[in-house]
Amino acid sequence: MKLKQWIQSLIFYEILLGMKETLKHFLNYRPITLEYPHVKKPLPENYRGMLGLLRYDDGTEKCVGCDLCEAACPSRVIRVVSAEVPGEPTKRYSKEYYMDMTRCLFCGLCVKACPVDALGMSQEFEWAVYDKRHLQLNKEQLLAIGDRAFPEREKRLEFQHPNVAYFNVSFKDIPEKEF
Amino acid sequence: MFDTSIKLALTLSQIGAVMGVVLLTVAILTLLERKVLSWMQDRMGPMEVGPYGVLQPVADGLKLFFKEDIIPAGANKIMFSLAPILVLVPALIGFAVIPFGPNWTIDVMGVEFKPFVISDINIGVLYILAFASIGAYGVILGGWASNSKYSLLGGLRSAAQLISYELNVGLAIVGVLLLAGSLSLVEITEAQAGGFWNWFAFDPLPFPQFIAFVIFLIASVAETNRLPFDLPEAESELVAGFFTEYSGMRFAFFFMAEYANMILVSCMSTVLFFGGWHAPLPFLQAPGMFAWVTGIFWFTAKVYFFLFLFFWIRATLPRLRYDQLMRFGWKVLLPIALGNIVVTSVLAYFFPN
Repeated sequence: MKLKQWIQSLIFYEILLGMKETLKHFLNYRPITLEYPHVKKPLPENYRGMLGLLRYDDGTEKCVGCDLCEAACPSRVIRVVSAEVPGEPTKRYSKEYYMDMTRCLFCGLCVKACPVDALGMSQEFEWAVYDKRHLQLNKEQLLAIGDRAFPEREKRLEFQHPNVAYFNVSFKDIPEKEF
Repeated sequence: MFDTSIKLALTLSQIGAVMGVVLLTVAILTLLERKVLSWMQDRMGPMEVGPYGVLQPVADGLKLFFKEDIIPAGANKIMFSLAPILVLVPALIGFAVIPFGPNWTIDVMGVEFKPFVISDINIGVLYILAFASIGAYGVILGGWASNSKYSLLGGLRSAAQLISYELNVGLAIVGVLLLAGSLSLVEITEAQAGGFWNWFAFDPLPFPQFIAFVIFLIASVAETNRLPFDLPEAESELVAGFFTEYSGMRFAFFFMAEYANMILVSCMSTVLFFGGWHAPLPFLQAPGMFAWVTGIFWFTAKVYFFLFLFFWIRATLPRLRYDQLMRFGWKVLLPIALGNIVVTSVLAYFFPN
């Protein structure tokens, strides 16, 4: 046994084993990497990417300015300025809606908290910018993200709790309300 | 006068051709190394510039050429500028004695001319070893003149490493010199004519120099600062070692010198141990006029095999610790090399060729 070890160390047995392994990978060349900007990895369906504000199919904003997202946000990303819809005292909407995406940790709690499913998380993640201020998004920008990320808006409601979906007029098949 | 000018023109064109081929090989190697390494690591390597990234060396060269040349504050300007030249020139100058093809002498208008070796001097091996040692000065000076701790540490490490391993290179070659009876690289190659059983690495009588070849290979990997012996430029410890502070073309000089040294060392192991331009089997050598085609082909094939071996070793092994490096050099390689000399000389005495 000792002689065997001695001979093995003499002929660099372990190094030769390692070299065999690297040669094996060299000969069966099968890259596991992707050429990233040209080829993108498919993202999972529930990927939590850039946040966006959604609209109903007729183009009106879903957001009712309830501030629940602001309350739910752990890193104080969201700031909502709520206001009455002019001429309709029972309805409210978000006059201004700001998100500071430099602080966002993409936990998705705001989306969960929203009673009308006005927020959605898109599959966008390439948001590197040269100026930090470009990540302070206002309402128009958030709506634009929502528009391009969710052209069919009902689709995302499947992830919503039935109790919440009940209030949502755009959801075709209203489920039974749970109490 | 006419003879002299003809000789000068011939030699200059020969030098130009060899330099061109060597620098072209350096460019190819930079790409080849990245490709081979990434294939061994299941990656793709450079793919952007040109089809499958084949134009990457051009892009790299242009980038380095147009980069700003920074001399750090407090650096010794003369030494700082001298160091890259002192590294690159010895690396390129060694090719002057490497025979690339058959040892022919052509008569060009009354001037004797050897087309496949720039100058066949009778101390070729010594010449290469001497210039390899001068290259170490460039590394040490570059490390010292940069006025940076990392560079200085890299320079000091390379000083110790190069001195320790140069000894092993020299001692590993001695066995070959005993068998060939000459220091001229052309004569050493001619002594290995015939099939691969006549190459010094395998020649059964008087003693195969395969052990010496392994020692030479390990020591030359250490001398060219390649992994697993790249302690002078250990990225994780010393940023980039002795060329941390260099940028632009000065950095490119160090880079080219490293690759040129790799080619030189591969050429040397080909010439000394693997029969230079001789084909492994006699019938693979073209006869008469076309012997130079197969000669250059086999020489290139062998050199590229050794270069591939360099990449292969780099992809396989991690970097050694410094004390391991020193212990391996002095306590393992040196005694084996000395023992090889003793055995070879005793056997060469009893079984003279």
